[in-house]
Amino acid sequence: MDFADLAALGIHDVKNRLAALAVRADARGDGETLRDAMDAAASLSRLLAVYKDDQGRLAPAIDARVPADLLEELTAETARMTPLAIEAELAAAPGVGYYDEGMLRMVLQNAVHNALRHARSRIVLAARAGDGGLEFSVRDDGPGYPPEMLGAPLAMHPASREGSGLGLYLAARVAALHASGARRGRVELANDGGAVFRIFLP
Amino acid sequence: MAEITHYANKSILILDDMPEARSSLRSQVGMLGFERIAVSGNVKDALEQVRKSHFDIILSDYYLGEGADGQQFLEYLRTRGVIGRGVLFVMVTAEKRYESVVTAAECLPDDYLLKPFTSEVLKLRLGRLLEKKRRLANVDQLQDKGDWAGVVATCDRIIEAGDRYMVDAMRIKGNALLAAGRLDEAVVFYQLMLLERPLPWARLGLARALHQRGEHEESKKTLGELIAEAPQLMAAYDLLGKAHVASGDHDAALAVLDSACKISPNSLARHRAVANVAEEKGDFRRVEQAMDRVVKKTRNSPLRETRDIARLGNALTEVGEPARAVSLIGEALTNFKSDAEDPMLAAVETVAQHKAGNPDKAQAALARALRGDPGKLPAPAAMAVAKACLTAGRQDEAQGILRQLVQTHHEATDLHSRVTTMLREHGAGAIADTLVADSVGEIIRLNNDAVKVAKEGNLAQAATMLTEAAQRLPGNMQVVANAATALLFEVLHNGVDAAKLRQAQAFQKAVQAQAPRHPKLAEIAELLVMVRDKYTAAGQ
Repeated sequence: MDFADLAALGIHDVKNRLAALAVRADARGDGETLRDAMDAAASLSRLLAVYKDDQGRLAPAIDARVPADLLEELTAETARMTPLAIEAELAAAPGVGYYDEGMLRMVLQNAVHNALRHARSRIVLAARAGDGGLEFSVRDDGPGYPPEMLGAPLAMHPASREGSGLGLYLAARVAALHASGARRGRVELANDGGAVFRIFLP
Repeated sequence: MAEITHYANKSILILDDMPEARSSLRSQVGMLGFERIAVSGNVKDALEQVRKSHFDIILSDYYLGEGADGQQFLEYLRTRGVIGRGVLFVMVTAEKRYESVVTAAECLPDDYLLKPFTSEVLKLRLGRLLEKKRRLANVDQLQDKGDWAGVVATCDRIIEAGDRYMVDAMRIKGNALLAAGRLDEAVVFYQLMLLERPLPWARLGLARALHQRGEHEESKKTLGELIAEAPQLMAAYDLLGKAHVASGDHDAALAVLDSACKISPNSLARHRAVANVAEEKGDFRRVEQAMDRVVKKTRNSPLRETRDIARLGNALTEVGEPARAVSLIGEALTNFKSDAEDPMLAAVETVAQHKAGNPDKAQAALARALRGDPGKLPAPAAMAVAKACLTAGRQDEAQGILRQLVQTHHEATDLHSRVTTMLREHGAGAIADTLVADSVGEIIRLNNDAVKVAKEGNLAQAATMLTEAAQRLPGNMQVVANAATALLFEVLHNGVDAAKLRQAQAFQKAVQAQAPRHPKLAEIAELLVMVRDKYTAAGQ
């Protein structure tokens, strides 16, 4: 058994423990611990995803999904972790979108966790149809991204507001892996009354 | 909370080998208001619980420690009909990489849940899945009845409504078109879908339709594109393997299935598929390798299948190691008493004992193999029993079994050529050529005669002829379905006869159970409605 296999087993084990921890915290209404446990598990998932990507094995399983469902779940889950207001804007959401739901969940969870660190009072998740595709966004009312991060960080390398920076790097990778014909997905960072994270999928 | 009443009457089974994870899940579903919660720590126990009582939802972890995994458990439940379409199966995993490593759509879980998840997410997800089951219940019923025209029409209405179930309806509609044999429509339908979005399942559907139309080269091309795009989709490899077999290229088929085994080394279905092709090719070394893995993987698992032992024993005998086959079967018989009742295993043992130089033991095994009615056995078992008879020099019995087998599957030309080969290999070359032709001819004649008699207006005689044939060949779905149709026609024209109506419905049930996608089922259902309409009005 090589190190990669051992690491995968280890990650699996830790995620299971974090899952149990999250459930206990959730059951007693301890949002802060819930958030830490979920965040730690998400961080391991990202690590595994980057490893898979390096091996050329990060392939999206794109299918027809309901964007509103994904955002509803993220909103409900996050609401248990924070006193901040968290909302989903679904009025312009298309009924069906085409993406790998597991990957998008990972990317958006990361964006939401970043927003949780910086928002003053409110986070808004949105999905809307446009430009022949689907756009998910996570918007907070915090101080916004530092100027050097704005724009379309396509060649994004690990470096970000906090943490290891794997989150944004992976977001860009996941977007790029979502292709339709010649068009590929992309990530955009902007400031508009706070930080706005957008991922566009063709 | 409203959701408490919502779940209180639903029963749920939790399966996880880790005690901590199990109690975690238990407390989560408890928070949602479930009251009927069963918990299981291994597949064996879970299987017993599922057999004993009905569950609305099964929540299973993918990893179940040693032995079977969650996917194998699900495949077992669905392919054996232990759970119906109405039972929700949700797979819980810590990583996402197992998605789509599945053969058939009916073996896909209803959903995946990625750990860790909060109770809120679990609640939303289960709520939505139950809602979807409710919305599609009508379609499920029509599918169970094999009423494909009805399925297509109902799906069209959902697609037209354009709601969240639109894509589900499209998927089901495509399958229904394929099942109904409406291949040209299926090709157009999938091509239109693919113009919109190259979804893997639509590409697979297109490949299936092309395959069924016999356009193997086109089908292979589509599958090549699909595998490049979605290398995890095992069903694509399976179909590509079949396409290669259909064009006679067994080596290419084996190469395809081998690459699938590398991606999904735990899939029993895949190793069995390799063995199928290798058996057809006569490469019993490969059969041995593949079946050895299956047998080892399931040795102490409740998913163990006696047939796998039989196939491995047969392969060992074929490669000249009958002693190993004898000891393999001996071990099985010692550890699993019910294996002694298995005719296929007894048949394989007959040949192995014979080749190992134990004629007395071979005789004893053959007696066990012939204990039941060989005519009721599935094709591979019947073939094995016939082979045992041939090996033991009991020609007449072998021919009787093979004749009935060919008549039961009178359109299965690949089976026919295996029958011919088997007879030749056992020195029965003289009858090898005539047995298949005569047996098939008899069935075709019977069908033609029945049609002729019916056209001459003698519906009763046609019904009697087909009923007799159906009782003699209960596995020939065409004959059984024709018998049902003939009986219903007769009742429709000559007046109600309770016994005939019951017989027709028994035939209909038999077809539904054995070939739920049989094209004649729709006609039978329509005829039944006509019979009912005609005679309820008359006060029957």
